[in-house]
Amino acid sequence: MSDDKNRVYAPDFLTELFRNPLDQGYADAAKHKALTGEPRGWRAASVRVVSALTLVAVGFLLVVAYKQTMADEPSRSQARAGLVDQIEQRQDATDDLQRAADGLRDEVARQRDAVLDDRAAALLRDQEAAAGLARVRGDGVEVRLDDAPDAVDAVTGAGKQDLGRVLDRDLQEVANALWSAGAEAISINDQRLTATSTIRAAGSAILVDFRPVNRPYVVRAIGPDDLEDSFEDSDTARLFRALVEDEGMSFSVRQVDDLTLPAASDPHLRFASPSPTATPTPRTTEGGK
Amino acid sequence: MIAVLALAVGVVLGVLLDPTVPAALQPYLPIAVVAALDAVFGGVRARLDGIFDDKQFVISFISNVLVAALIVYLGDQLGVGGQLSTGVVVVLGVRIFGNVAAIRRRLFKA
Repeated sequence: MSDDKNRVYAPDFLTELFRNPLDQGYADAAKHKALTGEPRGWRAASVRVVSALTLVAVGFLLVVAYKQTMADEPSRSQARAGLVDQIEQRQDATDDLQRAADGLRDEVARQRDAVLDDRAAALLRDQEAAAGLARVRGDGVEVRLDDAPDAVDAVTGAGKQDLGRVLDRDLQEVANALWSAGAEAISINDQRLTATSTIRAAGSAILVDFRPVNRPYVVRAIGPDDLEDSFEDSDTARLFRALVEDEGMSFSVRQVDDLTLPAASDPHLRFASPSPTATPTPRTTEGGK
Repeated sequence: MIAVLALAVGVVLGVLLDPTVPAALQPYLPIAVVAALDAVFGGVRARLDGIFDDKQFVISFISNVLVAALIVYLGDQLGVGGQLSTGVVVVLGVRIFGNVAAIRRRLFKA
């Protein structure tokens, strides 16, 4: 648009930008006009019309963008709020059902005790306790695990890889080490483990029997008096002590007297069904994992 | 006067027609708006300076919007879309501020 071949471009773009934010073109056009005079006739008129159309387009663009932003925002946050509501409702419903189930199970246990003679009832209670279906008391240990403090830089968001997190595998290892150290009953964050319990991860959450457990993770176990020593001697404990040193996780083991572990939720038999004629099962050795 | 009328017509058209933006164009809309604002404020300042030129205004609007969209598109393809958008917004924002400051000085002598 300019025939000025010698126009010098400022080397420092930002300085130029701050000093003179107006398009160079306007000054050039003014200079050009000063030389040749105002354009006249249909040319000037058409340019003016195009300019007006451009302004129409600008107004249109502003409204469209505004509407778009307004339309996007509420639907996004509404969907989120709706999902959160649903999750909370279902969790409440689940808790209610769980409480109802626990109450009914207590009722069943009471009525059964009333019908059975003392010996049979005691045998049944023992077996229930061993299987994780009844509350148990006894001396044992408490293992506390927690994630390392965030290694992520608060400003840049950069951080080393998150190695200091407690994983589902860690809880599995602790549980297995406790079983092998002779524990008879184990709970993770007050969720009793049974022979069919699962400890797994879903995303970044850890689920024990499909119920989420949150940090800090407290694993309680009831077992023989040397449970703490055996556990401290295990490879798992050594591994965690190394992790405490390297990654900053927290891990502690302590002896606790008179622990009470809750009953596990009802086992869901999916494939097996109880045989109709109840045969007294011979008491086997301690049911392992 | 015509300019304000035209802008108002555009706004009314946008409200009445209520267009839906194709999903492919949605990421470029905010950047296009900032680019358009830059062109508009540049035009207003040029008018106050007495050097407004219709052709220059049309070209600056179209090229601003196209270049801004192109930069964002390229950035998206290269994986730096967010950063390039920020860059475009900063540069256009500086120009808008500078032009608005010049307009202010001219109107209020302050």
